Amino acid sequence: MRPPRRAQLTDGLIAGLIGALWTLASVPVSAQEMCGTCHPENRVSFEQSIHHLENVSCSDCHGGDPAAREVKAAHQRDFRSLSDRLEVPQMCASCHADLDQMRAYNLPVDQYAVYLTSQHGKALAAGETRAAICTDCHGGHDIRRPRDPSSSTHPRHIPETCGQCHGNEALMQEFGLDPSVVTDYRSSIHGRMLLEEGSLAAPNCTSCHGVHGATPPGVGDIDKVCGACHEQTRRAFLEGPHYEGMTAASVPECASCHSNHAIQQFGIERVESLCAECHGEGSDQAVLGHKIHALIDSAGEEVAAAEALVHRADQAALEVEDPLSRVEEAKTYLTEALPAVHAVSLEPVEQLTRRAQSIAEEVEHELYSKLDRRVAKIGLVLFWFYLLMTIAVLVIFRRRLRSETEAS
Amino acid sequence: MKQEKSGALDWFSRRLNLTEIFSLLTSYGVFHAELDSRKNIREAIAEAKAQPMPSYDQWPRVLGLLAVVLLLIEIVTGSLLAFYYLPTPQTARASVATILRDVDFGRFVHQIHFWGAQLLIAVLIVRVVRFLMKGVYRKPRELMWIFGVLLLLVCFHSDLTGKALPMTGTAYWSSVRALELVGSIPIYGSVMLFLLGGGETVITELTLIRFYLLHVALLPFAAITLIYLHFSGVRRLGQTETGSHETPTRGGPVIRIHLLNQAILFTILLGILVSLAVLVPFPLGDAADPYLTVPGVGPPWYLLAPFGFMELTAPFLPTWIGGTILFLTFTAFVLLPFLPGFREGARSRGLSWVIVAALLAVWIFLTIYGARVA
Repeated sequence: MRPPRRAQLTDGLIAGLIGALWTLASVPVSAQEMCGTCHPENRVSFEQSIHHLENVSCSDCHGGDPAAREVKAAHQRDFRSLSDRLEVPQMCASCHADLDQMRAYNLPVDQYAVYLTSQHGKALAAGETRAAICTDCHGGHDIRRPRDPSSSTHPRHIPETCGQCHGNEALMQEFGLDPSVVTDYRSSIHGRMLLEEGSLAAPNCTSCHGVHGATPPGVGDIDKVCGACHEQTRRAFLEGPHYEGMTAASVPECASCHSNHAIQQFGIERVESLCAECHGEGSDQAVLGHKIHALIDSAGEEVAAAEALVHRADQAALEVEDPLSRVEEAKTYLTEALPAVHAVSLEPVEQLTRRAQSIAEEVEHELYSKLDRRVAKIGLVLFWFYLLMTIAVLVIFRRRLRSETEAS
Repeated sequence: MKQEKSGALDWFSRRLNLTEIFSLLTSYGVFHAELDSRKNIREAIAEAKAQPMPSYDQWPRVLGLLAVVLLLIEIVTGSLLAFYYLPTPQTARASVATILRDVDFGRFVHQIHFWGAQLLIAVLIVRVVRFLMKGVYRKPRELMWIFGVLLLLVCFHSDLTGKALPMTGTAYWSSVRALELVGSIPIYGSVMLFLLGGGETVITELTLIRFYLLHVALLPFAAITLIYLHFSGVRRLGQTETGSHETPTRGGPVIRIHLLNQAILFTILLGILVSLAVLVPFPLGDAADPYLTVPGVGPPWYLLAPFGFMELTAPFLPTWIGGTILFLTFTAFVLLPFLPGFREGARSRGLSWVIVAALLAVWIFLTIYGARVA
């Protein structure tokens, strides 16, 4: 009897499986795994990184022989430990400044060139090795993409990353820099928006200072930096007399009133005292400040009153779609009036507050006439008159009935 | 009269038992004499007129009658509102807003319905307090007391279910608080919650439609039945202050005077109702958001005392024990006439007053406490 077919088939399958396993096992161990044998913590850290994901190997940065199984052989050839900080930016640039390699990732290739123009890059070129290099901000082995929330270059982590050096009092004093910038920023409206409310629309350090080309903006440029977001404010500011006067006198534009890092949200009431701080109490400019404040304040009160009335009307189930949209319009004018203040002139502010105020007044007038129950109240008086007449008739009728009853 | 058979009344009288229908209608308090339904309508009325009548038109014995009129107003205005109201959580507030805004006289009808309900509850509370003080629970009036208390309970339920219907924020959270209170009673509470909303203390579309059904059908029917039963009792026992039969003070055709007095009373009632509706409009409020608790919203005011009790005892009593105490207290209140101390002749009038005052004081204290912690 020949063996059953099924047995032959099983034997063949087992043989095939063993062969396949043998083939898999004999594949050379990958370069990283060889380095990681002695540098396990670096390997763990590296495996978190975007470079690992994109198949960049240890030797791409460090050179040497990743396949070597002996320490000496592994660290031969072009091995570099990159412990010399001066080497690092160039090494990163060897790939990141290469358009052919970066094109597929749609990454810019000018970071190195831009870095060289930055305060950090210039200091490094001058031999100051404590100046920030690529790895100080991006990390060494565990480099992550900026959009990765756990990355040190994610917008929410930027203040912390910059703060490693710029919050270090001893280090900053050596360079004559202010070590309180990071804590100032954290307390500012921008910092609170970013760090407390988690709004990525809020500016971080790099939004104003640049990313790789980090440099503080100078007088004459501040309005451009702030104006990147505060467009209307900048336009009004450029139209007014402050821009020319301040730049001529080398007074920082926006920062003179708003400060630079500890920027707080200004209430319009701040205008009351702000103008006098430079121009002196009782000056024409201080009077203008009072006027502007009065305009916006009274329009704001009117709009708030209109809004409260709309809510009251809504509670009384009146139709409020239209008044509500008009109140929104008035609020928009009111919002526009705040940037317009930066032209330090009465007219543009007045145009907007007048519109806001007249819309609010219209809405109030309309809703008051709808909410007013005067007609109903007059009706009620007439109704009571009718009721009292009825009662009088009934009482007379009853008296007659009673006397009839008693008579019978 | 009997021989003239040409009038419309006689035409109907030959086809329907008008005496019985009249008897049924007069059961709602217009007229307290018992009619012989085997007799012709004219005959029966003539007979009733000839009977000596008690002077039952005096304050405060008109409270039951006021309740009937207010209930009638609620039924009429409620039917008008039901023409437009849509009982789903998504449409409820919008449809009420439509009634208030777009429907002719919708706002007025809505306000009358609201204030009518408040007056009805006020009248019924005064009535129960009066029963308690005057001893209208002693033999043979045990059932009067039970019907009276149950009628008040039915009206509380009507108010509770009705207030939830517009699905506004305050209404929603007020109802949730009330459901939580009901849910604290063991067994009874879980059965009620299951019936009202599938076992949750959250207002869903099922809760809303069940509230609606209770509000427009079951509770009004219960109220009408209880009032009928109450006035049947009045007609059997006579309207008197205490357990003994009062001798009729006036004979003859006092019915017409009585009717006139009623007309005057109802005119004044109408005036008060319309004035309240016009001068103190009840606001609609914002739409309910189940994920946003409106702060400071407690249960409806008549549930503040039990709510206050539960809050007061929460630190040292498990919820189910508190709920049981509430349930037993209420059951004892309903069955007051059968309690040992309250049976006929068990107590002097002075002592009744003390007990009533004590009950009221506890109730008011718990209400104030409940309002403060709500």
